[in-house]
Order: sequence, then C-alpha cells, then structure tokens
Amino acid sequence: MTKDKALEELFLTQKPHFDDKAEFMVRLTKRLDAVEYIRQYQEATLRRYKMAMVVTFVVGIISGAVTIGFLLSTPVDVPLFTFQVQTGSLLWLMQNSRIIVSTALALLITLGIISIYNNIQDIRSFRQSPAFLS
Amino acid sequence: MTREVFITYVEQEQEALRSFLFALCCGNKDEADDLAQDALVKAYLSCAGYQDKGKFRSWLFKIAHNTFLNHKASCRTMESIDDAKAFISNNAADDSFEHQDLYLALRTLPPKERSAITFYYLSGYDIKEIASITDTSTDAVKKQLSRGRDKLKEILKI
Repeated sequence: MTKDKALEELFLTQKPHFDDKAEFMVRLTKRLDAVEYIRQYQEATLRRYKMAMVVTFVVGIISGAVTIGFLLSTPVDVPLFTFQVQTGSLLWLMQNSRIIVSTALALLITLGIISIYNNIQDIRSFRQSPAFLS
Repeated sequence: MTREVFITYVEQEQEALRSFLFALCCGNKDEADDLAQDALVKAYLSCAGYQDKGKFRSWLFKIAHNTFLNHKASCRTMESIDDAKAFISNNAADDSFEHQDLYLALRTLPPKERSAITFYYLSGYDIKEIASITDTSTDAVKKQLSRGRDKLKEILKI
C-alpha cells in the first residue's frame, strides 16, 4: 500500500506545535505524585492486613490447640459442662457435651479456613488491580 | 524502570504523543491532553512490566490508543458531519488553528479508521507496526486505511 501524497502533506503541514510542554510535565508530575501517594497507602494497608492475618492465625492456632488439649485431657465419661437443673433436653445436652463441643470447634475451624481463603483472594485482587489509581 | 527514566522518556515523546491524540480528538486540545495524561499515568503504573527494547514510543502509543478507544466507547461511537461542524464552530479557541478541514474530516471517521489514518500519515508507522500496536491483522489495517483515506479524500476534495 502506497501513501497518498496529498494526505501525507496535509498531515505534515498541519502538525500541531505545543508551547506548553513544561506545564504539561508539571501537571503530569503532580498526578504521578498522587499515584505514588495512593500506591504507598495501598502498600501500607496491605502490610497491616497481612500482619492482622498472621496475628489472627497465631491466636487461632494457640486457642485451638488449648481447646483440643483440654478436650483430650478430660475423662471421656465426665461431661464437659453441667447444668443445675436436670430436665430432659438439658440432660441430653450434658450427655452429648463432648460431641457438641467438637462439632462447634469443627465449625469454627471451617469458618476460619474460609475466612483465610477469602482474605488471600482479597489480597491478590488488591495487588492485581491498580486500575483505580488511574 | 525508575520514575526519573520514565519522566525522561516522556519528555522526549511528549510532542509525538500529544500530536497523535490531538489528531485523534480532532483538534480538541483539552480532551487530547486529558487523554495523554491518563495514558501516561497508566503507562507509569505498568512500566514495571515494560522491557526496554527501544520501542518506548510504540508501547506508549499502544496505551494511548487503548485509552482513546475506551474513552470513545464510553462516549458516542461515531458522529455525523453536522455534529462535527457544530463542534468546530462551538470551539472558538481552536478556530485559530489552520487544521479545521482536516480535523473536521477526521471527526467523521469511526475511531479505528481514524487511529489507523493517524498512525500512518501523522506518526509515520507502517502497516505491520500499526497492526502490532492496535492488536489487529495487517489486512484489517489495510482495509481501515483504504476506507479512511477514501472518505477523507472525498470530504476534503483532494
């Protein structure tokens, strides 16, 4: 494909000249400063988020280990909790206290894992989408 | 790429980039400069992934072109010649430019044809480079150039 000479000349003669190059660069520098500020803020938030996750994780592991240790250390035939009043349903709860506590613990652990997974996903998407900066 | 290096490159390419967007925006300087600023911020945010192979201008133009297309997609996609005339007559500040006829004609082209024509005639890229920048085939670029050129010649009567 060959260039159309008339069009080429028209574009060349009508090429604009900019006498505000310095102002343009000043404006750009200001925007880049703002971008840097937001980027640093984003990184600081991410660091805090990660730290909070690590602390929560450690606290969860310790409290989980203590609870499981407590569960294992108590005799099997002794209920984990008792009630002063001995009605039918409360008696049932007392007799099955070990299963109830184990189920509650398992639920908590499941929720914790889901929460950790969600947090990791959030951190990843936070890192991969700097589009809001522009 | 450090910020200082990026700024140095931008200073070198500023005029070419602004001229390109000025033509794409059909002589609307404010719109062109806003798009240039947006494109440069986007380029800065992704400059960590840029590998210096001496093609900074092409890389920058690619970002600018995408920014322009996104901007156009969020506005009207195509304007009639009457809209273009109304636009030109309402922009007294730009009337001092002698580019009216060309920009008036460019304004009637769809964004992709306008981009191809501007890349080819203003920025001096060949068809292969345009295809690479716009992520299209060389045949598509040839068609866009052919259609765009015919329309421009008809409007400008050259």
